[in-house]
Amino acid sequence: MQEFYAQARKILAEQLEIELENIDMDTKFEDINADSIDIVEMIMALEDIYDIEFPEEDLEEYPTMGSLVKALYQYLKQAQNES
Amino acid sequence: MKIALDLMGGDNAPKELLAGAIKWLNEYDTGQIILVGQQEVMAAELSGCTYDSQRLALVNASQVIEMDESPATALRKKKDASIVVATKLVKEGRADAVVSCGSTGAQMAAALFILGRMEGIERPPIVVAIPSRGSQPTLLIDAGANVDCRPLQLVQFARLGRAYARGVLNIENPRVALLNNGEEEGKGNNLTTQTYEILRQQKNINFIGNLEGRDLFNDRGDIIVCDGFTGNVLLKAMEGMAMFLAAGIKQELGTIPSAFARLDYTQIGGAPLLGINGISIVCHGSSRREAVCAGLAIAAECINNNIIAQQLQELAELS
Repeated sequence: MQEFYAQARKILAEQLEIELENIDMDTKFEDINADSIDIVEMIMALEDIYDIEFPEEDLEEYPTMGSLVKALYQYLKQAQNES
Repeated sequence: MKIALDLMGGDNAPKELLAGAIKWLNEYDTGQIILVGQQEVMAAELSGCTYDSQRLALVNASQVIEMDESPATALRKKKDASIVVATKLVKEGRADAVVSCGSTGAQMAAALFILGRMEGIERPPIVVAIPSRGSQPTLLIDAGANVDCRPLQLVQFARLGRAYARGVLNIENPRVALLNNGEEEGKGNNLTTQTYEILRQQKNINFIGNLEGRDLFNDRGDIIVCDGFTGNVLLKAMEGMAMFLAAGIKQELGTIPSAFARLDYTQIGGAPLLGINGISIVCHGSSRREAVCAGLAIAAECINNNIIAQQLQELAELS
C-alpha cells in the first residue's frame, strides 16, 4: 500500500508541479486544484505502471487522495489475487 | 480530406448539425464528412435529405456525453460516446479532423487522452481569432478549454499562440500579451502576476506585458493569453455586445455593417484546440447549421494549413 501510495503521490505532485509535502492521504483534490483530468491522468499512469485497468468509478465519490488510493489499491489487490 | 463530425453533441443535435454538414458538402467541392452518432438517429435524420452519398459516411457511436457530466469521468465510462469515437477516427488516421458542438470539457479530455499532447504542453487551449484594426486578427488563447490554469500553463499557451501566429498567420515575431485588469506590472491576481514574471524571462517570446480587454481590437498585441474561464467570459461578452450593437444599428439604419458580421457568433463556426497531436475543432454548443458549416470550413482550413506540423516545428524551435 505504501509503495502504491508513494507512486500515486509522486505522479500527482509532478503533474500539478507542487511539492510532495503538499499531498498526503487527507488532502482534498480541490484544495490542491486537481481537477478530474488531473485525477484521471494519475489513474491512467498507475494503470500503465501496474498493467491493470481500474474500474470507471465516479470520482466524486473519492474527494481525497486517501479515499481514492485506498479504493484503487483494493481493486489492484483483488485483481492480483484473482490472477 | 475527411472530417469527423460528432453528430450527437450540442443543443441542436442532430438536426441542425446534419443540416450544417449537408450545407458544407453543397458549398465546397472537395472533402468528405464522417457523421458519428447513433445509427438509428442518423438514418432517420438522413431520410429525405438530398446529398452526395459518396462524400458522406456514417460511423456508429451508441453513447453521448451530456453537458453536465464530469468530462474525464464520462470519457472513461462512455467508451462508445460520439466524441470518443470521432476523436479515435483522427487518432487512427481515418479522419483528418474532428468537429464537435458538444461538451468542451469532454472534447478537450478526448483530445488529451486519445490524440495525446505535444511535448511540453500540459493542457490544450482554444485559440480564437478576434477581428482587430490591424491587418491580422488578434489571437485570444485560451477561449474556454481550461477553467483553472497554473502560471506555467499560461506560458505554454503563449508558446502555442506564437507557433500558431507564425505558422498559420505568418507573423514573424508575434507580440504576446497577458490579459489583465490593468497594464502596469504587478497588476492582477496571483495567476497573472506569477505568469507575468515567467513570461518576461522567456527569451524566445516577444512579451509586451499586460493588456486590457478593450485592447483585443486595437492591434496592440497579436496574442492575448489568459485562463479559459476569463477567456470564455470575455468572448461571450464580446459576442453579446456585438449582437446588441448590431441590433441597435440595424434598427436605426436598416442594415448591419460587415464588421459586426465578423463577430456574429451564430455564423462563426469554431476554433481549434492547440497543443494536441490532431485537429479538434470546438464549436458553440448552440451552433445551428450556418455555424456548423463554418466550423467544418475551419477544420478544412486547419487541415490545409497543416497546423499540427506548424505547431510541432515552432515548438521544437522554442525548446
